[in-house]
Amino acid sequence: MNALRTRIIPVLLLLRESLVKTVRFGRFSYVGDPCNTVRIFNELEVDELLFLDILASREGRGPNLKMLADIADECFMPLGYGGGIRSLDDARSVFDIGFEKVAINTAAADNPDLLTRIAEQYGSQAVVASIDVRSGFWGGATVHTRSGRHNTRRDPVQWAMEVERRGAGEILLTSIDREGSWQGFDLELVRRVADSVSIPVIAHGGAGTVQDIGKVVKQAHASAVALGSMVVFQRQGMGVLVNFPEPQLIEDVLR
Amino acid sequence: MNLQLLDTCINNVDLQICARCIYDERVSSIQFDAEGVCNYCRQVEGLVSQYGTGQEKGETLFAGILADIKRSGAGRKYDCIVGVSGGTDSSYLVYLARHWGLRPLAVHYDNTWNSAIATMNIQKVLKCLDVDLYTHVVDNKEADDIFRAFFLSGVAEIEASTDLGYAWLLRKVAAKYSIKYILEGHSFVAEGITPLGRNYFDGRYIQAIHRRFGRVRMKTYPLMTFTRFLRSAILERTKFIRPFWYIGYSKEAARQFLGSNFDWQYYGGHHLENRMTAFCHGIYLPQKFHSDMRNNTLSARVRVGELSRAQAWAEYNTPPVIEDELVSYFKKRLGLSDAQYEAVMQSVPKSWTEFPTYKKRFERLRPLFLVLAKANLVPMSFYLKYCFPGRGPSS
Amino acid sequence: MGNPGSLRNMFKRIGAKATIEADPEVIRYARKIVLPGVGAFDAAMERINHAPGLLEVLRGKALTERVPVLGVCLGMQLLTRSSEEGRLAGLGWIPGTTRRFPRQDGLKVPHMGWNIASPTTPSPLTTGIDSQSRYYFVHAYWVQVDEPSHSLMRTHYGLDFDAAIGRDNIFGVQFHPEKSHRFGMQILGNFAAL
Repeated sequence: MNALRTRIIPVLLLLRESLVKTVRFGRFSYVGDPCNTVRIFNELEVDELLFLDILASREGRGPNLKMLADIADECFMPLGYGGGIRSLDDARSVFDIGFEKVAINTAAADNPDLLTRIAEQYGSQAVVASIDVRSGFWGGATVHTRSGRHNTRRDPVQWAMEVERRGAGEILLTSIDREGSWQGFDLELVRRVADSVSIPVIAHGGAGTVQDIGKVVKQAHASAVALGSMVVFQRQGMGVLVNFPEPQLIEDVLR
Repeated sequence: MNLQLLDTCINNVDLQICARCIYDERVSSIQFDAEGVCNYCRQVEGLVSQYGTGQEKGETLFAGILADIKRSGAGRKYDCIVGVSGGTDSSYLVYLARHWGLRPLAVHYDNTWNSAIATMNIQKVLKCLDVDLYTHVVDNKEADDIFRAFFLSGVAEIEASTDLGYAWLLRKVAAKYSIKYILEGHSFVAEGITPLGRNYFDGRYIQAIHRRFGRVRMKTYPLMTFTRFLRSAILERTKFIRPFWYIGYSKEAARQFLGSNFDWQYYGGHHLENRMTAFCHGIYLPQKFHSDMRNNTLSARVRVGELSRAQAWAEYNTPPVIEDELVSYFKKRLGLSDAQYEAVMQSVPKSWTEFPTYKKRFERLRPLFLVLAKANLVPMSFYLKYCFPGRGPSS
Repeated sequence: MGNPGSLRNMFKRIGAKATIEADPEVIRYARKIVLPGVGAFDAAMERINHAPGLLEVLRGKALTERVPVLGVCLGMQLLTRSSEEGRLAGLGWIPGTTRRFPRQDGLKVPHMGWNIASPTTPSPLTTGIDSQSRYYFVHAYWVQVDEPSHSLMRTHYGLDFDAAIGRDNIFGVQFHPEKSHRFGMQILGNFAAL
């Protein structure tokens, strides 16, 4: 029996120097200070944290290294960062600060070779391919980049297999339609992708209850689960409150 | 560490200490009567008598208030507001509100310095009691700018912005949801009325300090100006009710209850629920102002017989517990170099009396505020603290 | 190489002074040495072998002076004789070898995530660690020491292997203590106290 805990990963969105939370990659609400929030998750001993800078790609800039260094200082668990990483140098500067993984989204679609180069240098476990998926009007799901503004028209399963081939060690699969909705994960999408690759798939977008975590792991074969709204709001539509589900509850649904 | 700790044995100390609690002659505006009892103890005595705290008189008064709250909230989603911080009083008060059959909306002011224990306590209690939460998060850069301004100015009230922000937020949310009652967990029996000395806050004071020492425009910070304060009290007629002024309350018992029923965690009395509060009470006030506010709660506990004077005095003169790295976190957040930090900590303390405030206005309008306090439109403790002259720090 | 900054941060948090050094002349005066590591076996051994004077100083500190040494992740694998990942010889300070995880159905490689590691042979490195302690692992190769008494902690992923090893003053941990919250802090604290 391979007793690895299913990783439950808070995903925190950075907008300039603040933490925010979006709904369907659209309107956002202010959540708080990155360092303090990280400190809270550190105290709560969460498994891992992932930071995504939601404007970096759009604004054509790289990571805010000073802020990332401040964040890394507060963490004693694995950290990942995504947002505006376009070159090996960008990745290197993030690793040097103390992050374990980089998430590449737009840059990978423009230039898949980047995944290979980073994986060769740092190992594939350090490379997360971030895949954002949105359903079209007629129902077909396609991969989007540039924070959801550009439709690549690629099929998520085909693209997932491609990034695995190119050296990604994990996939962060985000359903744009479900993001911030609390409606549960897009189980069908997650299962199709998870069943087509051998690298871990982190399901992201839609978690509303601890039961959702159980479903996406057991029914959709996600290896890890990313939580957004659930860890920064008290309830759907209610106030900001940084929190994390109790370990016992998680254990119960994953049993 | 230049904290003015004295001998932990109360009999070995060469200061006058109240015969009933442990406030000593260093406390601002303290007076001792013929029996050696201080004016703060007498004040509490007076309030207990006025409100009938823990007696039939208090219970009856409160039953009447409860009925009013239910009546005013009929047909609405929420009938009262409870400010929550994750601490003992507010957590227990939410439980009581539900127990009394009320439909509270919990309100939290997030100054972006919360610790996990606070947020998880709020989460657990609200989840078990099925209560909604409204939060206002101040932009972290604004919050830090105001804290920094207060730090650089040399005054003690580094937490003024949080205290005032909370007060205004409660009123604003009440107005937004047409809720007429705000429940607060303050207990003069369990905490005493804090002397005003180094604990002043009002909107004009905050604006003045920010104007001189701040750099970031206030956009998300909820500033309560005098006009807003009065408009809310007189026009909105939002009432402040402090149940623990009427009914009996023991913090100890509350903690036990919260722990066993909600898995609520006690933060140990060292303000670890908010890092700015922890810095203020554990480091800033003791080291720069030789002011240690632990004597407020300790004295209160002595008055109700939970602790002996000797025990309270010993605890008061033991150094406070401080989280590791708190000072370096403080410097990091506020962008202060070690040199800047030391310079401010060593500089001469300033007082709120040296800056523009509404104090004189509060004093001039004392009769009005007495009326408002009696009607619970402003807290009675506000009236007692702010509407009388001569309450600056004594040292 | 690796994330020495995070290790230094955790040492700082627990009150121990740690600095990151590459210069043999500075390392010569160290009271304890931590060998971090993320990346490939051969790349690491090449850097150690080719940095002028480095290997001699490290050998001197570890084997002659016998200061406490802690290898982390790849650093632990470097302590063995050899690894299936590369062709170069390891430092060989603890008899054992490093092997690749087998291709097995359902076994995703690298071993990445939180796993439980239990203490086996009593050691000052594992004081205060119980059988429910969990740590963050990320590695594709595992270590098997020759002597059972050199195995300090064991874990399971597809097969049983050593999560921590130790021989006299030389120690190694396969997981990343600097990324394992209070469990990692316990280990680093024990090491700092040696």
